[in-house]
Amino acid sequence: MIATFSFLARRLSQGALIVFLAALIVFTLLRVGPGDPARMLAGGLSDQASVDALSEKMGLNDPFLVQFGKYVGGIVLHGDFGQSYIRSESGLSVGGGHGDDQTRSDRADVLSLLGSRLPLSLGLALAGLGLALLVSAPIGIYAGLRAGKWQESLSIMGSSLLVSMPSFWIAGLLVLLISIKLKWLPAVGYEGPRYLILPAIVLAIEMAPIFIRTWSSAISSMTRRDFVRVAPVRGLGQRQIFSRHVLRGAAVPFINTLGVMLTSLIGSLLVIEFVFDFPGLGKLTVEAVLQRDFPLVQAIAIIISAFFVLVNIAVDFVSGLFDPRLDY
Amino acid sequence: MTEKLLSVSELSVANAARPGDAPILDHVSFDVAPGEALAIIGRSGAGKSVLGRSLMGWTEAPLTVTGGSVSLGGEEVLEAAPDALRRIRGTGIGYVGADPTRVFDPTLPVGRQIAEKYRAVRPGVSMKEALERVHELFNLVRIPEARHRMEELPSKYSGGMIQRAAIVDAMIGETKLVIADNVTQPLDVTVAAQIIRLFQDLRERLGTAFIFITSSVPTIKDFADRIVVMDKGRIVESGPTRQLLEAPQTEASGQLIAQSPKIWGTTAPESLSASDELNRPAALSITAVRRTYKVPRKDKLFGSVFVQAVRGADFDVYPGESLAIVGESGCGKSTLMRLLTWLEEPDDGAVHFHGKNVGTFTKKERFDLRAQLQLVLQDPYGSIPAHWTIGRTISESLRLHSDLGGKARRARVEATMAEVGLDPALYDKLPSGLSAGQRQRINVARAIVLEPTVLLLDETFSALDPMEQTPLIELFRTLQRERAITCIFISHDLALVRRVASRVAVMYLGRIVEIGSNENVFGRPLHPYTRALLSAAPTIEASPYDPGECLVDGEPPSPIRLPKGCAFAERCPVSRPECLESDPMLRNTLARGRIACHFPLARGMLESAETKEEISRVG
Repeated sequence: MIATFSFLARRLSQGALIVFLAALIVFTLLRVGPGDPARMLAGGLSDQASVDALSEKMGLNDPFLVQFGKYVGGIVLHGDFGQSYIRSESGLSVGGGHGDDQTRSDRADVLSLLGSRLPLSLGLALAGLGLALLVSAPIGIYAGLRAGKWQESLSIMGSSLLVSMPSFWIAGLLVLLISIKLKWLPAVGYEGPRYLILPAIVLAIEMAPIFIRTWSSAISSMTRRDFVRVAPVRGLGQRQIFSRHVLRGAAVPFINTLGVMLTSLIGSLLVIEFVFDFPGLGKLTVEAVLQRDFPLVQAIAIIISAFFVLVNIAVDFVSGLFDPRLDY
Repeated sequence: MTEKLLSVSELSVANAARPGDAPILDHVSFDVAPGEALAIIGRSGAGKSVLGRSLMGWTEAPLTVTGGSVSLGGEEVLEAAPDALRRIRGTGIGYVGADPTRVFDPTLPVGRQIAEKYRAVRPGVSMKEALERVHELFNLVRIPEARHRMEELPSKYSGGMIQRAAIVDAMIGETKLVIADNVTQPLDVTVAAQIIRLFQDLRERLGTAFIFITSSVPTIKDFADRIVVMDKGRIVESGPTRQLLEAPQTEASGQLIAQSPKIWGTTAPESLSASDELNRPAALSITAVRRTYKVPRKDKLFGSVFVQAVRGADFDVYPGESLAIVGESGCGKSTLMRLLTWLEEPDDGAVHFHGKNVGTFTKKERFDLRAQLQLVLQDPYGSIPAHWTIGRTISESLRLHSDLGGKARRARVEATMAEVGLDPALYDKLPSGLSAGQRQRINVARAIVLEPTVLLLDETFSALDPMEQTPLIELFRTLQRERAITCIFISHDLALVRRVASRVAVMYLGRIVEIGSNENVFGRPLHPYTRALLSAAPTIEASPYDPGECLVDGEPPSPIRLPKGCAFAERCPVSRPECLESDPMLRNTLARGRIACHFPLARGMLESAETKEEISRVG
């Protein structure tokens, strides 16, 4: 009990520090990079005086640390991630040429922007992950139990083949086949759950081979462990050995891979959502970066780093449940 | 024999992958009566372990049973259906192997795993009943704080304790026969002796029959009723223990018995005349060296515990001598070795090398020290890189420490290889396929190629069987004579120490408790712990120390919570109340040794009170 509490307290405080540093770095990078947000908002044709006024109003003339302090303060105290530079409440891109009309209230709240996109991405991610897990677990475990036989080779070869194909290429192929030729499923945009299917399949194809490899190598290395080989000599039954010992032991490497895959899932979402024009967080991120929408980029970076931290803590914690020897 | 529990007849096992080879087991036949203790002895490779496993119906590919039968109480084991085999294994024959740490799942509490097994072999037993039964047996094999220990992971167990748990695991299904394959081999002598006593006790109480498989004859000499001698897969001789040991009929048995360790029947190696040796300035001098490890505590938010691995070790090593440091696992031997070689720095105290404090060495001096002071490691497999040629392994340190060119280096390495008895033609070969003895020669060559003045041998011989040990020991004698190398042996093998060391230091819980000449330590031990160690040493001859009287119970206290007084007091057969109160200092004996004990076994051997005071002031 105390060990768990101590673990969580230590890791969460470390995690908070990591997220804080990540925020600082992103904040700094965006400000030392080229481009003046005030100029961008005011529009290329605005005179210098109005740009300066806007700049002053947005607090861009404050010392760097004061700006950062206000930003972090807003997040911590009010959960306020600021407003988008570009997007209006209606969701359309604004800015550029509106000059003096630009007021803060027109612009979309970053948090609500994220809130509108996150569920879609989450749904896509979960569908892809779920599909990958469902397919990979039986194949991987079976291959692991048949280590050294053709079933294992087949699963390794199949996985290698799939893992070496880029996801955007697979996406293109599936769109061509299933949407254009067969007209079974819609390919771009989002107008209902049917739109999840194709991108989720692509995500799953990307992840499943890695899970298959993890399962098969974890299971086969467990079956070679001495205590598993000796277990039948002690009088244990095969089923008991598999479920109580082999599967338990293989869970730790699996959970670690799952953690890695969860974090790399974010990168995959960027690509897949862009390819399928799927209105999720990934596409929002790509657009925000291209449009230099600093508040949005910052918020996404902070949320992603927090996600990384939490996934890592969860992975270590759950691994510790399966193998109490792990000193978290 | 009137009644048979186990009957093995004409059992043959062969390696299916090598059809041309001689069979591993060749028409082996013997019987075991209920409650009998049978020993199967033979040198390594004789097929003992394969036999032990075959009796359980446990032959893994490529080994295959090619003929014969094993029947337990009339039931055929080798042809049993999976379910019947499980029942036989759980309730008929139990098996305890040499490495009990690998029997249990490292992620589950030991007691629960044994209970799980009990329920698997005795269907219908509830978890609660099973745990109750485990608790009962944990008490029977004298695992202290059984209730608490049952819930601990295997990694929390010491070697002796996990062996006891493995014995419980083998016996829990009321097995009629237990096969114990080399069970004492990984254990410290006092613990091994306790385990043998435990087997005797279990046999008397439960009437279980035992098959004890070992290459160490002394281990079973007081335990077995009958001995079966195996050689090259065959039974060459069998008979009642005493009769067979006194008058072996075959060469194989004769050799096994002749090569068994002796302590009192052998003479100590000739040392340079003791006084000469000890009057020279020390080659290596260790003063009040301490090393404590800080280990974070899991059960507290902040805070850590301190493991006192070495607690003020004090001794000198003289040029040309061979000093052995003996002690059981966890006594700090290995930490001490790391301190001596300066792989780790002491927290306190000093190590002087030829009069110079190693702590004040410059980086360059420390680098040169490495060439002077070489290490020969324990594990002949792990310590040699498998993907390097033998020549490269040996010449690696030359490349670092000398400016010899490629050719000269090769010549030097080949000369060294010849010196340690390795064929120089092996220079470009990989070490795979070499025997443990050959590999240890590579280790020795690697250490002496730089012509060091001090060699540290950390359990160098313990991985070798007696057949391989003897020539290597001879090699060391020669090397030491010809090169005047100072040797420090770190070992738990007393018979070996008796053969190689001129002086012996006994270590207990991070301290030297007794140090003296080989003759004195083995012949007239002053410290009760030394005597306990000697009484537990497995030797073929009768020990002058009665284990019943001298052997200690339990295990050393944890180096985390050390008692206030003498660290040995709790286990000491002759301790008195004072021992629990004050910690004895190391003081001189008349025989030029030193001892840390308030009540040594022969008081007259101590120097007078004045010297004692002087020592306590200096030390």
